[in-house]
Amino acid sequence: MSFEPKIVGFLCNWCSYTGADLAGTSRIPYPANVRIIRVMCSARIDPTFVVQALAQGADAVLICGCHPGDCHYSEGNYKAMRRFPLLKQLLKAYGVEDDRVRQTWVSASEGQRFAEIVTDLTERVRALGPSRIHPELLNDQRER
Amino acid sequence: MEELKIGFYVCNCGTNIAHTVDVEGVKEVAAQWPEVAIARSYRYMCSNPGQEMIVNDIRELGLNRVVVAACSPRMHELTFRNACRLGGLNPYLFEMANIREQCSWVHTDKLVATEKAKALARGAVNRVRHHEPLDPLSAEMCPETLVLGGGIAGLTAALELALAGHPVHLVEKSDRLGGNIARVDLTAPYFYSARDLLADRLTRLRATPNVSVHLHTQLKNLSGFIGNYTATLETGNGDSAPRQKTIHIGNVIVATGYKEFDASRITHYGYGKLPNVITSFEFEQMLRSGRIQTQSGRPPRYVAIIHCVGSRNREFHSYCSRVCCMTALKYARELKSALPECYVSDIYIDMHAFGKGCEDFYRKSSEVKTLFLMYGKNEQPVIRKADAKDDCEMLIEVDEKLSGERIEIPADMVILMVGMEPRPDAGEVAHLVNISHDKDGWFIESHPKLDPVATTTEGIYIAGTCAAPKDIPDTVAQARAAAARILARIAKGKIEIDGVFAEVDPERCSGCRMCNELCPYSAIEFDAQAKRSHVIPAVCKACGCCVAACPSGAIKGRHFTDQQIYAQIEGVLA
Amino acid sequence: MTEKKKLQIALYWGAACGGCDVAVLDTNEFILDVAAAADIRFWPIAVDGKYADVEALADGELDLAIFNGAVRNSENQQVAELLRRKSKILVAFGSCAHLGGIPGLANLVKREEILTTAYLANASIQSGNRTIPCPETNCDGKKLEIPVLYKRVYRLADIVDVDYFVPGCPPAPEQVKNVLLAVVQGELPPRKSVIGASDRTVCDDCKRSKEEKKIQRFFRPFEIIQNPDRCLLEQGLLCMGSATRSGCGVRCPNSNQGCRGCYGPPPGVRDQGTKFLSALASIIDSKDPAEIEEILSHLPDFTAYAYRFGLPASILQRSHRS
Repeated sequence: MSFEPKIVGFLCNWCSYTGADLAGTSRIPYPANVRIIRVMCSARIDPTFVVQALAQGADAVLICGCHPGDCHYSEGNYKAMRRFPLLKQLLKAYGVEDDRVRQTWVSASEGQRFAEIVTDLTERVRALGPSRIHPELLNDQRER
Repeated sequence: MEELKIGFYVCNCGTNIAHTVDVEGVKEVAAQWPEVAIARSYRYMCSNPGQEMIVNDIRELGLNRVVVAACSPRMHELTFRNACRLGGLNPYLFEMANIREQCSWVHTDKLVATEKAKALARGAVNRVRHHEPLDPLSAEMCPETLVLGGGIAGLTAALELALAGHPVHLVEKSDRLGGNIARVDLTAPYFYSARDLLADRLTRLRATPNVSVHLHTQLKNLSGFIGNYTATLETGNGDSAPRQKTIHIGNVIVATGYKEFDASRITHYGYGKLPNVITSFEFEQMLRSGRIQTQSGRPPRYVAIIHCVGSRNREFHSYCSRVCCMTALKYARELKSALPECYVSDIYIDMHAFGKGCEDFYRKSSEVKTLFLMYGKNEQPVIRKADAKDDCEMLIEVDEKLSGERIEIPADMVILMVGMEPRPDAGEVAHLVNISHDKDGWFIESHPKLDPVATTTEGIYIAGTCAAPKDIPDTVAQARAAAARILARIAKGKIEIDGVFAEVDPERCSGCRMCNELCPYSAIEFDAQAKRSHVIPAVCKACGCCVAACPSGAIKGRHFTDQQIYAQIEGVLA
Repeated sequence: MTEKKKLQIALYWGAACGGCDVAVLDTNEFILDVAAAADIRFWPIAVDGKYADVEALADGELDLAIFNGAVRNSENQQVAELLRRKSKILVAFGSCAHLGGIPGLANLVKREEILTTAYLANASIQSGNRTIPCPETNCDGKKLEIPVLYKRVYRLADIVDVDYFVPGCPPAPEQVKNVLLAVVQGELPPRKSVIGASDRTVCDDCKRSKEEKKIQRFFRPFEIIQNPDRCLLEQGLLCMGSATRSGCGVRCPNSNQGCRGCYGPPPGVRDQGTKFLSALASIIDSKDPAEIEEILSHLPDFTAYAYRFGLPASILQRSHRS
């Protein structure tokens, strides 16, 4: 049985979550690996969420916001944009492969694109294999 | 800590969900989760019986949390929150799991879809444990209004409010009221006198005691929130030191208008070099004085009118300025009427005659023997000084599209239909009142189709050309619409502020000030004395930016707390 | 006439630099009061004693054991477990015991890489020498054992149950006094508390003015002449004070150096590094991805900066490279 990645997605209510809903109303199929958590704005996404999801067994994390310039709250996605490069640096130091955490912009009308993004991410992570971060091994005494 | 009693409901949505997700299976699994007091499935949870099920369970079982796994919360979150409210439960003690748009409708494998539905449901149940009851706040609505701009939009809006019996502060930067229509003679398509329109407004204005007119005045500062704004006005005409005045208002209408494009920027039109190349406004001046004549004092024999000067032009403004085509036709009609022997050429790209009475106006204009010459956007006409042997002042070369020929026409006077552009201080105004402007500089409305006079900042409205080029009917309509919105607010007397906003814990805040500039709504104040930041609930839009950015975790995002999100993460991954 | 029983205390250093012990000694005359009021049963840096002496104590006989340094090898663990058994109150003292400390940065690399760099592949090793310490060796028919170097660094609380945490690298001498007095007077807060520190961040105690947080450029400390009265971060100089628990007396910013975060995160913040990342990145004054990258490129090694003292305490704890 092939490995089924567990992906946590953080989507902003006004653009990307609506875009994901549109994929639904348009009946565009995509892999069932992503579990979406709704926030009002991508600016709400604390990098700590990403790290916590990985620590709890997520094989990948997807962050989606509105396209730059289109944020419902005017500038929220710029904050998300600023945080991501540093988060990537941190994750690299932690040994988390680049493909596992992705940030992208999805508008409310991009249902098809959302499905494509999820499909691409799922396949890449499937190829990478399970995350090497096992919640039960974080404090494993046998690691000595 | 109260004992939690969670009601869990999973919807079949007919076959929309049930066809792919084993709804009964989800229900049975959920029933086993800790603190789930009841788990039910139903055909259509959003229907009356579905909602009544929730209402009855809350009353009879004493539920204090409710989760519905069904369609997208964007569909029915409000429906089920209302059901909770009817049952006597605070509507925020509710959470939804989206197992339709984001599950049953996009996955085909039933086993996999059901597992995902269970995970999403578990996330919602985990999260709802940490939900807190939230109540809306109430604030007073000050009935006074600030209108920025004394043009036709501002005057109309001010009158509307004043005649309804409410005080208005009409603030005008220049030394007189009237704005751009004070520079216009007659209007298209019915030839109403702009002077008469303006006189009508001004007469009524003087007759009402409710409008305080502030000339030579600008807005310097605006703070507060809808219903409770404090504005600082500065009056100064250059002669004496500027005076400041503070006023309290409930709402603001921004009606600051536009300025015309500077024609000298298009060098091949020769504006500013060739003496008889004039702008539309300069021609209006001639019409108002009643004398159409060239610089040498004689009436022109050949007049050319060029459309789209600065508009529909990738180099300057790509948009259409909307009013110029009809105005140009108006000029053609007026020229032929005043100077029947004059040859009038109308040099245009497309004729935009979309408004009421405009097609008829266009037709009439072609009947008065105006020469229409069509040019392409990327091949603009070129004006040059004529030689002595030519019997005219200037020659205009046009790559005429309908004939396909390159035509040279004489002109003693060229009227450039300069487009509209945002005023140079538009950015400053936007920043002062906390609204945004688009890439062209026009102020952005709340929704271009459904909400054209409101903005994303509550209590700030926009009307007229400051939002985009438009004609007088549309400007007046928007001004009255903005006024009507404010009247509706004033009628309610109080403003209800949603209970979802960010809160700074003063016990944790260390006054680092990371948050103040981050807030796009300037909703976070800093108390320099206490060295603490504080969120103004009414202004906060709950985007959560400050919550994520606060380095000491001192800001809590109501209804989207860290605790709730962590619980949801754990639930979807379990 | 009954003699009031003296407080029985022990101090120990795990993977440490000695600074925390020095901090205790830096309390100057106060240490003499301590010596008068307490029996120091075990303190390797200052007092004679063997592990056997500690093993001989009854369980819980020690009133207070102060453990500084991280747990890096099997010896650290054994002593940690020993002191836990033998003491009523065990305090994790200093950043290393509290959060893993600077030794915790070793969690970014593999044990094998450390051993290779230290013993095989660097300029000061005689070439050809391939001697790496081993936990067990045979020497003249006898088995020699040295502590096992663990694959990663642990906080004290990862190994044993800790009663109190005193943060700092090292904890301010003033706080050392406060802690010892609190124990002597029996006035301790609930178990598991962080003591000798405030519940707010360094910004609360920092006297520099805070006006507008927008960063257009980061500077290394030597690159500009700083304004001593203005917030360091607002001048583009890295300072983690906003994400760091206060109590140190703002000693670094007061010495014109940015706070390095040694007191760890304030209460309510689970991961100091990711939270500081969120704050710092959010205030970068740009909306252009290329410009943002350029501004960030002036941060030489953000990960090591943000987790200088607290990597083992972070959510992910260590590198998970294969």
